[in-house]
Amino acid sequence: MERPIFKPIGTPVAQLDTPALVVDLALVEHNIATLHAFFQQREAKVRPHVTAHRCPALAHKQLAAGGTVGGISVTTVGEAEVFADHGFDNIFVANEVVTRQKIRRLCALARRASVIVAVDNPANVRDLSAAAAAHGVTLQVVVDMHTRLHRCGVEPGQPAVELARVVHAASHLELAGLMSYEGPILTTDPEALAAESRQCIQQVLDTRELLERAGLPVRMVSVGNTSNYEIAGTMPGVTEIPAGAYALLDARYGPHRPQFTPAAHVMTTVTSRPEPGTAIADAGQKAVSVDLGLPVAADLPGATVTSLSAEHCRLRLEGVVDATLRLGDTFWLIPYDIGTCANLYDYIHAVRDGHLETVWRVAARGQYR
Amino acid sequence: MEHYRPAPGTLLQDLDTPCLLIDLDAVEHNFRLIADTYRDTVCKMRTHVKNLKSPILAHMQIRAGGTVGGVCAAKVAEAEVMVEGGITDVLIANEVVAHDKIVRLCSLAKRADMKVGIDNTQNLRELSEVAQAQGVTLGVLIEVDTSMHRAGIRRVEDGVELAKLAATLPGIAFRGLMSHQTLPGRPDKQTRLIEGRRFMQMCLDLKEAIEGAGIPVDIVSTGETWTYDIAADLPGVTEIQGGTYALMSASYGYMDEFAIAAKILGTIISTPRPGVAIGDVGVQALASPGGVLPSVEGMPGVTVETLHDEHIVLRTDGTTPLTVGDQFLLHSGQQDILVNRWDQYIAVRKGVVEAVWDIPARGCHH
Repeated sequence: MERPIFKPIGTPVAQLDTPALVVDLALVEHNIATLHAFFQQREAKVRPHVTAHRCPALAHKQLAAGGTVGGISVTTVGEAEVFADHGFDNIFVANEVVTRQKIRRLCALARRASVIVAVDNPANVRDLSAAAAAHGVTLQVVVDMHTRLHRCGVEPGQPAVELARVVHAASHLELAGLMSYEGPILTTDPEALAAESRQCIQQVLDTRELLERAGLPVRMVSVGNTSNYEIAGTMPGVTEIPAGAYALLDARYGPHRPQFTPAAHVMTTVTSRPEPGTAIADAGQKAVSVDLGLPVAADLPGATVTSLSAEHCRLRLEGVVDATLRLGDTFWLIPYDIGTCANLYDYIHAVRDGHLETVWRVAARGQYR
Repeated sequence: MEHYRPAPGTLLQDLDTPCLLIDLDAVEHNFRLIADTYRDTVCKMRTHVKNLKSPILAHMQIRAGGTVGGVCAAKVAEAEVMVEGGITDVLIANEVVAHDKIVRLCSLAKRADMKVGIDNTQNLRELSEVAQAQGVTLGVLIEVDTSMHRAGIRRVEDGVELAKLAATLPGIAFRGLMSHQTLPGRPDKQTRLIEGRRFMQMCLDLKEAIEGAGIPVDIVSTGETWTYDIAADLPGVTEIQGGTYALMSASYGYMDEFAIAAKILGTIISTPRPGVAIGDVGVQALASPGGVLPSVEGMPGVTVETLHDEHIVLRTDGTTPLTVGDQFLLHSGQQDILVNRWDQYIAVRKGVVEAVWDIPARGCHH
């Protein structure tokens, strides 16, 4: 468990114990307002993908902003359980749930929440159906399709239709529709973004048509993410977008999504100035994930993050900052990937106007099952 | 927080996944090897708990033998967990700078023999002021930069100056020197020997200079998993800060006298295309700093293609067919980053659960 010294509400942010995951409330509210406003007057809605932060308090802010389906999207049954415990009653597990124990947990969860799960395999459909029957519950099921990311999912078109038939015929399962996670499409070229997004999503919409022609119901089509929500959200037939990264943003999405601002930072303290041009700080790989890329130093001109070891961050300093940055000074890192970074913390320090306003639990941290 | 506690006696095949396993035969082998190595040497092991995050594992090495009787930690919060877990001698092998943390460190010094790394006079003076105010004595070890280009003093004369100051300040006991070495790649024994000795000699040179100034140096704490055997024979080195050796990691495969004890158990959840299988464990649970991929245990022809947040993509050439529901075992590329993402070890022996141990120092980055 993370063991910071908790400071009183109202404490200036620079006095927080480091390394700390700090969220600026004004910025996160701006990000949420921006994306949710887009969906207010549209047929398609956002379903916040909360694995991006694992924080129920933040997820409640997202649902309160409107423009949503009234529920959330998660990746594991464990996350779904935690969010159900925090009052969420419409939960999409956008993933295949296969092991016996997890299927049992999913059925138990379906007694206290509306649960949707993805499938890409007929044997798994039979297991889900048998377990749902044994528990006396009904699970909503979407067929997961592979369109871009070489991961789970059946091929669009006929293979998806065949699996949908299996779901539709199974007892205690309700065919809800289709999903495909095409992954972030990170490009600054709007035409390339639109073309690649449409190419993926159209395969899902074509499959929707095949399903409907076959007399199979499709009330849910889940595609898109933070990188292309405005494209996915305007394609007729798409019903929901499981976007997650937009709320806190990160250095990975930042350059490609200028309508949002990075709202989450890791605050760190300089612990050594071993030689001119170098500073060492107390946030290493255990405090800022580097699985997908290095964090970026924010608001510290002349400072570049050159590497992170397990417990240390190494900065190269050029110009004025080399003379002014002192032992004990704090500075801010923008994580490259907020999902893996939030998963390292038990607490988010939420600040407004530079002062601590509240501390949120990252309640679903570590819920890999 | 996770809350998965399979009962002792549960078979591996009945575990829900993913989960972090600790192979008890392997970890006990590693602890015995250390006990045997340092049984009759001046130099002893000071196990680095940043890798283990668990007092019970620290106690297991101390009981097995070959140690100084204490541990080292990277952070004050880790040290707190160890002292609460009954460890009475902790070296924080790192600089402790913020005032809050220095106060916490001094509070620990009322319960345990606390030592901390230093590389800066301003920091040393603050340690002295707080220790004095709290009525405790902090041991200090000067950190020497031998190869990391990280924290630590770079020049012998700076070290001597720092030692002189430490020897005079109230609330401070100057104890000696420490360093941590790195050697990238998979060095052979000869390269390890030459480079390891060269790095650690920098510490020994500073020791001689400080002693020449009339200040005794009783601790030289240097060396790690890849130099554990070299340091044991190097006169003047009193202790080794080994961490990875205990649970091991695929990237230390060249130190093959140690056995891999930390493993991730996963399950295949999808076989979408021929030769491709998707497992239920991803970057979030495995850690992949710098893109280092894990390796698969005991499945000929199966390789890791890529990692997603919550998924692993495996490829098989057909030698080992993979079907939905099959379990697989992974070895992580960087063991301490892996352990820091889990709340429990499932301790297994020969495929049967023997115990579930909390990892109380997980997330202790303060």
